[in-house]
Amino acid sequence: MTAIILGIIGILLAPVLGGLIAGLDRKVTARMQSRFGPPILQPFYDVFKLFGKEPAIVNVWQVFCAYVYVASAAISVGLLFAGGDLLLLFFVQAVGAVFLVFGALAAPSPYSQVGAHRELLQILAYEPLIILVFVGFYLATGSFKVADILAHNQPLLLQMPLLFLVLGYALTIKLRKSPFDLSTSHHGHQELVKGVLIEYSGPYLALVEVAHWYETVLVLGLCALFWHTSIFGMAILLAVTYFAEVLLDNVTARMTWRWMLGYVWGIGLAMSAVNLVWISFKGA
Amino acid sequence: MLKNMIQTSRLKSPWIIHFDCGSCNGCDIEVLACLTPLYDVERFGVVNVGNPKHADVLLVTGTVNHRNKHVLKNIYDQMPNPKLVIAIGACGLSGGVFREAPNVVGGVDKVIPVDVYVPGCPAKPEAIIDAVVAGLGKLAELQKQAAI
Amino acid sequence: MLETLLFLLVVLPILGGAACLVVPSRYLRGAVIVGTCALTAAASLSLLGYGPFSGTPETVFLIPVRGLITLLDFVLLGVILFYAFSLKNRLIQLLFGFQIVALAFFEMFMAKHTAAPTFFADTLSIVMVLVISIVGSLICIYGIPYMQAHEEHLHLAKTRQPRFFLFLVGFLGAMNGLVLADDITFVYFFFEITTFCSFMLIGHDQTEIAIKNATRALLLNGVGGVAFLLGMIWANSVTGSLSIQEIIAAGPAAKGLLFAVALICLAGFTKAAQLPFQSWLLGAMVAPTPVSALLHSSTMVKAGVFLVLRFSPAFAGTFLGTAIAVCGAFTFVATAALAVSQSNAKKILAYSTISNLGLMIACAGLGTPQAITAGVLLLVFHAVSKGLLFCCVGHIEQHIHSRDIEDMRGLSVTMPRAALITIIGLVTMMMPPFGVLLSKWMAIEAAADNLFVIVMLAVGSALTVLIYARWGGNMMSAPYKAQPQKAPMPLLVGLPLMAMAGGAVLLSLAAPVLYTRLVLPLVKSAPYDVAAGTLTNPVGSFLVYPLFILLGFGFFMALRAVLKSKATVLPPYFGGANLPDSTGFKGPLGAPVPYQGGNYYLTGVFGEDKLTMWINVGAGMLLAMMMGGAL
Ligand code: SF4
Repeated sequence: MTAIILGIIGILLAPVLGGLIAGLDRKVTARMQSRFGPPILQPFYDVFKLFGKEPAIVNVWQVFCAYVYVASAAISVGLLFAGGDLLLLFFVQAVGAVFLVFGALAAPSPYSQVGAHRELLQILAYEPLIILVFVGFYLATGSFKVADILAHNQPLLLQMPLLFLVLGYALTIKLRKSPFDLSTSHHGHQELVKGVLIEYSGPYLALVEVAHWYETVLVLGLCALFWHTSIFGMAILLAVTYFAEVLLDNVTARMTWRWMLGYVWGIGLAMSAVNLVWISFKGA
Repeated sequence: MLKNMIQTSRLKSPWIIHFDCGSCNGCDIEVLACLTPLYDVERFGVVNVGNPKHADVLLVTGTVNHRNKHVLKNIYDQMPNPKLVIAIGACGLSGGVFREAPNVVGGVDKVIPVDVYVPGCPAKPEAIIDAVVAGLGKLAELQKQAAI
Repeated sequence: MLETLLFLLVVLPILGGAACLVVPSRYLRGAVIVGTCALTAAASLSLLGYGPFSGTPETVFLIPVRGLITLLDFVLLGVILFYAFSLKNRLIQLLFGFQIVALAFFEMFMAKHTAAPTFFADTLSIVMVLVISIVGSLICIYGIPYMQAHEEHLHLAKTRQPRFFLFLVGFLGAMNGLVLADDITFVYFFFEITTFCSFMLIGHDQTEIAIKNATRALLLNGVGGVAFLLGMIWANSVTGSLSIQEIIAAGPAAKGLLFAVALICLAGFTKAAQLPFQSWLLGAMVAPTPVSALLHSSTMVKAGVFLVLRFSPAFAGTFLGTAIAVCGAFTFVATAALAVSQSNAKKILAYSTISNLGLMIACAGLGTPQAITAGVLLLVFHAVSKGLLFCCVGHIEQHIHSRDIEDMRGLSVTMPRAALITIIGLVTMMMPPFGVLLSKWMAIEAAADNLFVIVMLAVGSALTVLIYARWGGNMMSAPYKAQPQKAPMPLLVGLPLMAMAGGAVLLSLAAPVLYTRLVLPLVKSAPYDVAAGTLTNPVGSFLVYPLFILLGFGFFMALRAVLKSKATVLPPYFGGANLPDSTGFKGPLGAPVPYQGGNYYLTGVFGEDKLTMWINVGAGMLLAMMMGGAL
């Protein structure tokens, strides 16, 4: 019962949190570029405005896909808060990620097509890494369930530092930050004139945006599991991580998919393997 | 309440698309200057988007001619409602120094309805920002009328 | 009762197939096929009600079963040898000649018998029988209109359907025999029949390429046959028994038995087209689509998996088990990578079939209760979804005359029903809460302790998503403002397609029941607790019913939004330079450039020419490790 309530709280709270994080992100980014930046609530204004726009589509599948995207993102966050199975919630999240691509592929628009394929490559790049991070959680704590991981008595960052960096790759891709913002880029940037998102407009773009907030909360939630023993530790870890992401976004250039796949798989898989071996030998 | 929130949000989040209709690039540079740290229009939620599907405000610089009037019309048509059009510079207003040329149609309002005109050759960034604000004022006025 | 059931399941389809040869009209033939299939499917359901059994049917039509099978075995090998000579293929002659001699020698001088029953069914066999008889029957029925259209397209003077259905329907019986027999010589006989059916059906169209690929299939499966025969002889000489159950009971402890088991697993590998034997299954795609659906994805190739699963207690906890798991996982990831570079839908499905079979074999190799559960469930769900997808591709191909996924753009408009069913098939292949993903989830959690396997599974499952997502998106795409059209779908095509699509969804919903009823009796300790439609164990939990409700609600809301949507349809963005009808854009000098889509195939990284050789070398080494490790 508590699990269900926690899950519902998660679903209700996450968009607020995600929106605030996005607002903060824009503010910090602006400051790094010596600008003043928009108000913290700007992402909410944007989304409400989008909801008020005239609905316009190219292909009716886009409507379906936008709704499924937001539903699956919300359910996965709910599962995270409810202490569910990490792998399961990740697969639920993947439903949405794939439907976003479906919708983009449904439109006969060149930018949207290229964006969709790049998005698929991004999914391809981060998915194995996230699964291996989960395996790390399992080897360290004996369970894939968030509830059991939270019961572990030691900050996991100490055991899985490399896997944390690996999750950082996935986080960068998921947040659509440079150097991995190939398929579309966030706020001011223009890669592929918004690539995978180009043909989603008005309310549907708003739904996609809300889903993106959910996903942000989801991935940050995964990061938080690395220091679950104290709220302060968690907050500091998240703040430092997110700041590093914004910094990275501002100091790196966008790369090609070849580079992404080679780099993320090469280094990411190697680091995961090293860390997994380390945990399993230390545990044994 | 939701309606209220949407209406306030509309005024706080004008996403612009900038279309260069055949300008000498003078006005374009001034438009882009608005985005620089000196003017930083993102303070008002202005984001420069690349495609009409996501845009609320269409900034047009330069003279409309027979080759690009279709493009201008197409971009305007692809913007979902509600939307604003701002014509910038002497060229955008009337064709400017090019208005006598044989291939020139004239100002932007020959092709699509224009909400705000920004004079100047080139228009100053302050004037452009002012025009966006004026456009939003017009939108607010319209919303109020619709509410009554 | 038991004998009747066995008769209905094994002999009846063969008789039905034979009847197809003699009935004069095509309508009568259709009736025979539908009747046979219905009876077989009904028999499989009553077997489900009957439950596990073991027994020794003495006679069929008053002929002793053992004698009959031994006799037919030699006849069959003789027939294959005959084909080998007419194909003038030295290697095949050698392989099957050797089998005849070795089998004769074995039967006359070596074979040791015990009084063990010759037929045996636990729930694994029953699961297989259900898949074969129900999914198989649906595919056979689908084959009736398919072959009609196929032959019309080829403008054949004289129909060759009687021969086609002889093998297709008869195959169901052989397959049922294979999974129900416990006497290993019987299994060997049925194993060879499936090889033969596959050979005849791949070569059915008699084109040059068909004959070439059929020959390759016969050759590689011949290798499997030899491995099976040697394993069987070896196992018999070690344990003194022909009963598989007794051989398994001797377990890994029996000296030398492990190598025999490894040989039989090798036979399973060839049948399941595991690396490096994959080439025959890829070539088999030249056959008419019902063949690909029935033999080369839903059932026959599963016989290989079945063998490995069946013998898994005999190698549980040994190095052989781990080696099999690594081989399977390698096949899983490598063929998924190869599939990325393909645009031919049947080839994509072929690679992904091999890939999924690899995952099942990996599960069998891991051998823990959790892994076995994953393997068995994947076998069921994969059979339904993949059979469905093959049939969809076949149906689509007959309309658009292409099996390229690039040409499937716009199908959601030109063939809305077929496109929708295909999309359902694709979604059930890769997403929760559907069964294939449920099994994959189990497999990943079960493999989490084995570092090599888990890394390969992680990468492979990401590749799978890429392959299907791309295809699904292509199916959904449609030209700007295209009006939906009605495409004809014959009843006998539509019915099996809808049954399989509905089955894929409903079976996934019934996963907890499937698990408790059919998988639990197979494993030593219960890997999961079932409560409120959730499979839980200390390691993880999969919320089947809750997810069905939640995601179902999400899908429902999305559908409602679509139906209520009053959205204006805008043309796609072409930089503003749209053509007047927005089917493309104005290029240089105003020349119209029509819109064209194209997928990324990443051939520079995942191309067959880049990868196949290295993958084969790798797989060969792993196989050597597996065989060597069993010595
Ligand atoms: S108004 Fe002046 S500066 Fe602007 S485009 Fe025309 S000529 Fe150039």
